[in-house]
Amino acid sequence: MNHTVASPSIATEAQNPVQGRGSTLTRLLLSNEFGLAVLLSFTFLIFANTLQGFSSTFSLFTIGRQIGINTMIGLAMMAVIVTGGLDLSVGAIGACTAMFFGYLAQVLGVPLLLAVPLSIVFGAGLGFINGTTVVKSGVHSFIITLASMSIFFGLMIFLTKAQSFNQLPPEVQGFGKSKLAGVVSPLLIISIVMCSALSLFYRFTTLGRSMLAAGANPKAAELSGIRTGPIIRACHVLTGGLAALAGLMLTARTGAAIPSMAGQLGQDWLLPAFLAPVLGGTLLAGGRVSVVGTFLGAAFVNVMTSGLLLMRVGEFWILACLGFMLLLAVLTDKARQTILSKKGMV
Amino acid sequence: MSAGAFTRIFDNDWIGPGIVSLAAVVGISVFQPSFLSPFNIFVLLSAISVNMVIALGQLVIIAIGQMNLALGAFGGLVAICFVGVMELYGASPVFALLFGLAIGTSAGMASGYMIARTGISAFIITLAGLQIFKGINLGITEAQPFYGVPQSVRDFGNLTMIGPIPWLVVPMVMASVGMWYLLNHLRIGRYILAIGNNPHAAELSGINQRVTITWAHAISGLLAAVGGIMLVAKLQIGQPTIGDDWLISSFAAPVIGGAVLSGGHVSVAGTFFGVVVIAIITQALVLFNIDPYIVQVVLGGLILWAVSINRWRELRVAKLQEQGK
Repeated sequence: MNHTVASPSIATEAQNPVQGRGSTLTRLLLSNEFGLAVLLSFTFLIFANTLQGFSSTFSLFTIGRQIGINTMIGLAMMAVIVTGGLDLSVGAIGACTAMFFGYLAQVLGVPLLLAVPLSIVFGAGLGFINGTTVVKSGVHSFIITLASMSIFFGLMIFLTKAQSFNQLPPEVQGFGKSKLAGVVSPLLIISIVMCSALSLFYRFTTLGRSMLAAGANPKAAELSGIRTGPIIRACHVLTGGLAALAGLMLTARTGAAIPSMAGQLGQDWLLPAFLAPVLGGTLLAGGRVSVVGTFLGAAFVNVMTSGLLLMRVGEFWILACLGFMLLLAVLTDKARQTILSKKGMV
Repeated sequence: MSAGAFTRIFDNDWIGPGIVSLAAVVGISVFQPSFLSPFNIFVLLSAISVNMVIALGQLVIIAIGQMNLALGAFGGLVAICFVGVMELYGASPVFALLFGLAIGTSAGMASGYMIARTGISAFIITLAGLQIFKGINLGITEAQPFYGVPQSVRDFGNLTMIGPIPWLVVPMVMASVGMWYLLNHLRIGRYILAIGNNPHAAELSGINQRVTITWAHAISGLLAAVGGIMLVAKLQIGQPTIGDDWLISSFAAPVIGGAVLSGGHVSVAGTFFGVVVIAIITQALVLFNIDPYIVQVVLGGLILWAVSINRWRELRVAKLQEQGK
C-alpha cells in the first residue's frame, strides 16, 4: 500500500513532491495512497455499520467483482498516462474485444483457453494501431484516439449488426458468478494479480522504467539513449491488452458479449478509466504511476457507488456525484502539492 | 509568379475543405439529382446550421489550446432546462431562451474559471463537467423527454425563411460572423489566440490568462446552449440524449478546417466547410443506402485525414522558413 512505483532516480523532483525531504514515515503519511486507504476504510466502516445489507456476503461479492473490472479499466488508462498521453478508445477497444471473443467462442466454437489469449492479442493489436499512428504522425494521442474510438466502434457495430453474442459457453458466465471462499470473485483476484505484476514491471524491468523516464522528461530520456517512439507504442499496446482484459471480464460478469456494454463509442468507460488513476495519484503529465493507488481509487469509487445506491440515491445522481468526486480529487491533490511546496517538502 | 499566387491560395485553411465540398455536391448530384431538391437543401442546411454552432463552441476552446469534453453535456442540460421551464412552469419561450443561455454561459464560465484558477488540465475538468452535467440532466428528467415545446419554437426549427433556407440559418450566421469578428477584431479574441499560440509569451506581454480562459469557456458554453436550443426546435422535443454525440463531430469540423490542436490557429470559414463536408458525407451515405453506423467510421477517418494534411502543411511551412534563412 505504501510504495510508489516511480523510483526517485527516474521521477523528477518537481513532479514528485512526496519524494523530496522528510523521513520515510512522513512521506508515507503524506502519500496519496495512504490518504486514499484511510478514506476508503472510513467510508467502508461507516457504510457497513449504517446501511443494512451493505456487508452481506452477496453485496461484498458484487462490490469486489466490480472493483476488479474497474481496476482493470483504470490500469488500462494508467498505462498510457505514464507517458503523458491518453487513450479515449479504451472503451471501444474493450467492447470490440468482447465482441471478437464472442464471435470466436460462440460462432467459431474456439475453445476458451485459446479464445481468451487470442482476444487479448486482438486488443493489444488495436492498441498497436493507436500507438503506431500516434508515433508516426507526431499528433497528440487525444485526437488520434478520438478518431480511432470512432473507427473501432463504428466498424464493430457494422460487422456485428449491433447484435450481441448471448450464447457463449456456460463456463464464461460460470466464471463470472463463481466465488472463492464464499465472497471473493475471481475477477477481483485477476485484477490484484495484474496490479502486482504491473508494480514489478514498472519497478524492475527496463521497459517499465523506460516508460516512466519517457513520461517524466522525454527529451532527457532521448538524450540518455531511450528511443521514445517504440516506448510510447509499447504503452499503447499495453493499454490495448489491459482494455481487452477488462472487456473480457465484463463479458464474464454479464455472461454475454454486448456491443453497447461500454456505452455509445465506449464513452461510459472514460470516467472510471480516469477516476481510478487520478484518485490514486498518477500524474496526468506523465512520469509517475501508482498501481496501488489505481486499485484503491477504483475500490473507493465502487464502495461509494454501492453505498449511495443502497441509500436510494438515484442512479443518475450518482453519475453527477462521481463527476464531483473527480473534481474534488484533482483539487485536493493540487492543494496538497501547494501546501507541501510551501512547507518546503518538495 | 502565378505559381506563387496559386500556392498562396492553397495556404488558406478553407480552400481544401471548400473544394472537397464543391466536388462532393457536384459528384453526388450527378448520381442522385434529388440531392439538389429544395427539400434536401433544406434538410442539409438545417443540419449544417446546428453542427456549425456546436463546432464553433469547440473552436474557441481549440483556439486557446484546450479541449471541452463537456460541450455536449452543456447542450443537453440547456436543452432540457429550456423545455422544462416552459412545460413545468409555463414560462414564455423568450424567458426560457434567456434562461437556457444563462445556464450554458455560467456552466462554461464555471469550468473555465476552475481551469484558469487551478491550472489543472482542461481535459480532466471538462471530463468531470461532462459527468456532472449529464448526471444532473438525467437526474432531472429520469431519462424521459419533455414534450412541451410551443408551436413558435417548433416553427423556428422547421419552417423556411426564403426558398429552401431554414430559419435555423439565422443563429448560425450570427454565431459565425460573431466568432470571426471576435477572433480577428476584438481584443479578447486576439488574447485567446495569443494564449493558444504561446501561453508563456502571452503572460509576459501582460495578457490576463485567467480572465481570457474563463471568457473563452463562457463563450463555448453559450454556443453549446444555442446549439442545444436549436436542436430542441429542430427535433420538437426536449430529449435528454441531446449532446451525447457532439464530441466527435465538434472536433472533426474545426480540425478539417485546418485548426491546430495545440492552439493559436483556427479558421471559422474552414470550420464551416468542415461542417459542410461532414453533413454532405453523412447524407450521401443515407442517400446511397449505406449502413448509418459507417458514418462513425468515416468521421474518424476524416479526422485522421485532416490531421495528417495539417501536419504535412505545418512541416512544409517549417521547411520553407528554414530555406528562407
